[in-house]
Amino acid sequence: MSYDLPFITIQILTGLTNAMFIFLIASGLSVIFGVQGIINFAHGSFYMLGAYMTHQCVSLFIHSPHRFWAAVVLAPVVVALFGGLIERFLLRRLYGREELTQLLFTYALVLILGDVIRIFWGIEQFSVSRPPVLKGAVEIFGQFFPKYNIFILIMGPCVAFLFWFFMLRTRWGRMIRAAAQDRETLNALGVNVNRLFTVVFILGTWLAALGGALVAPATSIKPGMDIDVIITAFVVVVIGGLGSFWGTFLGSIIVGIVYSLGILVFPRLSIVFIYVIMILVLIIRPWGLLGRPLTLER
Amino acid sequence: MKRLLLSLAVCMMIVAPVLSAHGAEKPITVGFPMYLSGGGAVFGKPSSQGAMMYVKEVNDAGGVLGRKIELIVRDCSGSPEEATRVAKELINKNNIDFLVGGLTGSQGFALSEVAKQEKILYIAPISKPAEICEPPKLHKYVFRAAANTKTEGRSAAVLMSKLPITRIATISPDYSYGQGVTAAFVERIKKLKPEVEIVHQAWPKLGETDYTPFITVLMASKPEAVFCSLWGGHFITFTKQAKDYGLFEKFKFVSAGEGGCIESIKGAGDDMPLGIISNAYDTFYYPDTDWHKDWVARCKAYTGEEYPSSWMGTGYDAMKFLVEAIKKAGSTDTDKVIQALEGLIIDSTAGKLTMRAKDHQATRGQYWGTVAKVAEYPFPILQPVEYIPADDLMD
Repeated sequence: MSYDLPFITIQILTGLTNAMFIFLIASGLSVIFGVQGIINFAHGSFYMLGAYMTHQCVSLFIHSPHRFWAAVVLAPVVVALFGGLIERFLLRRLYGREELTQLLFTYALVLILGDVIRIFWGIEQFSVSRPPVLKGAVEIFGQFFPKYNIFILIMGPCVAFLFWFFMLRTRWGRMIRAAAQDRETLNALGVNVNRLFTVVFILGTWLAALGGALVAPATSIKPGMDIDVIITAFVVVVIGGLGSFWGTFLGSIIVGIVYSLGILVFPRLSIVFIYVIMILVLIIRPWGLLGRPLTLER
Repeated sequence: MKRLLLSLAVCMMIVAPVLSAHGAEKPITVGFPMYLSGGGAVFGKPSSQGAMMYVKEVNDAGGVLGRKIELIVRDCSGSPEEATRVAKELINKNNIDFLVGGLTGSQGFALSEVAKQEKILYIAPISKPAEICEPPKLHKYVFRAAANTKTEGRSAAVLMSKLPITRIATISPDYSYGQGVTAAFVERIKKLKPEVEIVHQAWPKLGETDYTPFITVLMASKPEAVFCSLWGGHFITFTKQAKDYGLFEKFKFVSAGEGGCIESIKGAGDDMPLGIISNAYDTFYYPDTDWHKDWVARCKAYTGEEYPSSWMGTGYDAMKFLVEAIKKAGSTDTDKVIQALEGLIIDSTAGKLTMRAKDHQATRGQYWGTVAKVAEYPFPILQPVEYIPADDLMD
């Protein structure tokens, strides 16, 4: 089989699409850790909740041709608000405690949310279709490339840019960045840091659920999907740097491209490449490619 | 007076259990660890329901050897470690007499190992890897009521050999089941049609969430037909991603791994590809015989489902093999039941099945057909469909 340029191009584009899927899922994890220092094991669960809520919204508006778009807007918001409630009434009580306690809490959330989803939706598998305008494929260099993939290729950087703009140019963004650096001082300046953390958690959960909503038409919505993504999300965040948003973006691209090109070179070993990269990063630059070398006392 | 009443009460408490036990016989306990939570639960649950339904039918008819059957169903999710742990607990705490269960191939291996160590009879209702019943893994305590990777792969090869194609690509999950069924397919298709060329083999990991890099490489190898053994949610994810590449329109597609079961068809929704060839353990709409219609009716009544799952037969038949063997042996002694089970023929939910003495495998075939939309049902079914028996396809 010859690997000509058009084919390699498509393979790279496929890898980039995968990278954007991963980025959309992993970005929320990075945000929450970057600001609050909490490793949210339940991140995959909020992603799963986003996917299930998307299915629910799509079923609700089954007669509307715009049901997918309505779901993409509605589902992440609902899940984010739910995340906010969890943060405000449960997680907040654990601030200032040992980090292990917070970790255990998010792990408990994984188990609880998994069962909650099973209670509401059962063990069936659900399917969300792509919206009519994004069905089918376009031809690039004689090869087919799904329209939905192009949509994701655009959405990924859009979300990244939106987030960057929010963090850099808005007042809330400035406060959040300040809280990430030094929450005591910020508190002393009169800012309600607790409320800020709720906002950050809502933001992170919203990103996770948005990932779930956008991935839904390209995957099967089923129990266990939270576990499927959480490992890859962690690998990406570790490679890019825990707490670095652009690090997550870079990490996603590395993982996506390495995987899709790795299949051409070592078909059955390509999965190993990503873990090898992660190990190399941990050995050579343990704070990640774009992470900060010094961890501040929290 | 108080003292008298107290001592009377104590006496009653001691005597009562003895009195009640004297009347009833101790039930025959069967442990049933099954994948009931997580990705495979959608198949594990109906399997356990089939087993429970059979036990209820037997108990309602008076039990076996004058004793009731007590089926202890426990969730062991998808890991072989969990299956081992649950099975050991059932053996040590609940003192089960027999073991039936496990869903994935690795769980089948694990439970077989437990059975060998604890010297307890184990019947696998679903686990397919052929190696479980081949030397060196085969031992006297393990039996399989399910179809195996060799019959499944070879059935697919038989069907594929009838198509006018010579270039075949395969895509299968990279673990015991996927490797086994694909190897069996490749071996048999080359035997049946020597001019066939396997142009590409894709091996996504089990639980892969993004098949698109595999899809593009597979399509670039320019096959004429594709053999796939992705199953359940993995198959659904794959079809959703492959659809936009036009994979199903371009190439003939044969899918092992129960792509034709209701759960997969419904789960794929509008993205279920039509015109592909796939299989299922049971089809509620075929055959139109009396015994099959009765079986479907009983499933409907027991579960309340309008379209009963094809997986109920797996638990049902495994339990039937066990109970019929106990009846034939006239005892629950493990060695006697093993002897009775070897060579036993039962009327299963798929017709007559023999539990072969030489390798403890049931001659279980599967239903194969083409996915098509029909007027009678709101989802596609396999039509035309046929049952491919296993007898000629087993070693």
